[in-house]
Amino acid sequence: MLSLPQNCNYVLGERKIIIYELLVISILAIASFVIQHLAGDIPVELFSFPLNILTIALWLVILGWLYRSRQRSQYAQSLLSMRATILSLALMVVLGVLFGIQHSPQTTSWPAAAALLFILSHLVLVTLRGLRDSRGKLRTRFILNHLGLILALGAGFWGAADREELRAIVERDVATNVAYTHNHNKSILDYEMTMTDFSIEYFETGTPSSFEAKVIVDGEEVSLRVNHPYNRTLSETLYLMSYDAEHSNEARYCIVEIVREPWRWLTVAGIVMLIVGAVLMFVQGKRG
Amino acid sequence: MVLGWNIFPFVAAVAVLLSVVAAIFASLDKERGRRIAIASAIGGIAILAAFVAMLWLTLERPPLRTMGETRLWYSLFLLLSGLVTYVRWRYRWIMGFSTMLATVFMIINIAKPELHDHTLMPALQSPWFVPHVSVYMFSYALLGCATLLSVYGLWRPSAELDKAINRVMSSGIAFFTIGMLSGALWAKEAWGTYWNWDPKEAWAAATWGLYLLALHIAPQRRRIYYAIVIAAFLSLQMCWWGVNYLPNAERSEHTYTMQR
Repeated sequence: MLSLPQNCNYVLGERKIIIYELLVISILAIASFVIQHLAGDIPVELFSFPLNILTIALWLVILGWLYRSRQRSQYAQSLLSMRATILSLALMVVLGVLFGIQHSPQTTSWPAAAALLFILSHLVLVTLRGLRDSRGKLRTRFILNHLGLILALGAGFWGAADREELRAIVERDVATNVAYTHNHNKSILDYEMTMTDFSIEYFETGTPSSFEAKVIVDGEEVSLRVNHPYNRTLSETLYLMSYDAEHSNEARYCIVEIVREPWRWLTVAGIVMLIVGAVLMFVQGKRG
Repeated sequence: MVLGWNIFPFVAAVAVLLSVVAAIFASLDKERGRRIAIASAIGGIAILAAFVAMLWLTLERPPLRTMGETRLWYSLFLLLSGLVTYVRWRYRWIMGFSTMLATVFMIINIAKPELHDHTLMPALQSPWFVPHVSVYMFSYALLGCATLLSVYGLWRPSAELDKAINRVMSSGIAFFTIGMLSGALWAKEAWGTYWNWDPKEAWAAATWGLYLLALHIAPQRRRIYYAIVIAAFLSLQMCWWGVNYLPNAERSEHTYTMQR
């Protein structure tokens, strides 16, 4: 097998490498747009558990292998370069601006997913490289910021297919275990819900100051208010979504949204790491 | 309009006057002038802070709901971060710039006062409300200072200036990150999802990306660096108030002033 010297840049020349990188990136980008055009949005449901776990395993194996061969592989070196960092951040900016002006952001499109996958892959590689400083000490702040972002972004990206949003019409004094998906598919819950009371309070100006529904969930009476959902399990949360506006305080039903997000604690872990990293950044100032 | 807001022009005039005195004394670069500058700046900040506190008490809710109210905090934090930058890094003209920018925002508030009433819609009644918005306003002020320094840098670039921009900006980014992520945690409580690509969230992501870009390339390409810091601040304006004027604003869950 042909073995290249340690520094490939020396062999190929900086300019040639950049042209080669631009070519590969353009081909990938065009491919994602072609697939989008031909096949439409990504069938997200397909990547639900366990396929997403298997895909992550494969992805991490490839990244690990790339990382180990970083001395020989130009692909690894390109993915670890400052140019890749700039491209990742530029992609984030482009996604932000696009989603910021679109009426319905195309978050499940192939180009958007390709961009996110690139950002995540680059992040994983630079995090592996930057774990320790030149003296072998763990770089806490670097790890908090970069691993935190991998977890926060990655959990949303890979866990999207396992997220479920259901809506149930919960009537006063009538038990129900029926909920509906966004596509109006019926889903039977393994517990029942009954609304026992609904109340609205007002400011003196007449605008509502609070909405509250008392709902019996699986035999337990809970209060559902805006900003105060009910965590039924570690992954399932119930929200007061809407109510019978015609009858206000005498509302005959309320609409409860059931959100199942098994990956949520990974997101939280990532967010907490990023917040700690940000606090450290303020306290210690920019380094390096 | 409740009692309290009508005295704002006087409060603003005194705060601006003290800040201008502070800026002038700071620019003299003399040790005695420095003490007068700091004392005068603290006086201006204290008067504005007292007004915010009084508004909070009379409204019986945190004054962070309307754009006008956030502008008020912005002016306050701008003067504060200008003072901090001056004390910490001895940039003698930064207070002049921060005073100018704070004055613009106070004038907007005098010219276009918004409804300040007691109501705080249920969606905003959360322990996350005050930290989320005030941390953001503080970061906007720091990032505003970094932008002023960068505009200056386009004319007179220097390594010394880069150091100051980097420090002020990285503190701004730290607060921006905390504001954004506290928002994500709040969004899960309120709307059931950490991130929904709501227009404001999307522009926050774009802004964050631009600032991180500046942070990562600093300080190799000086003018590009200044340009990115300035572009990031423009994106920040979209995130803060520009989104309200976009055609897709109606799908935003972040509009709290247009109801009623």
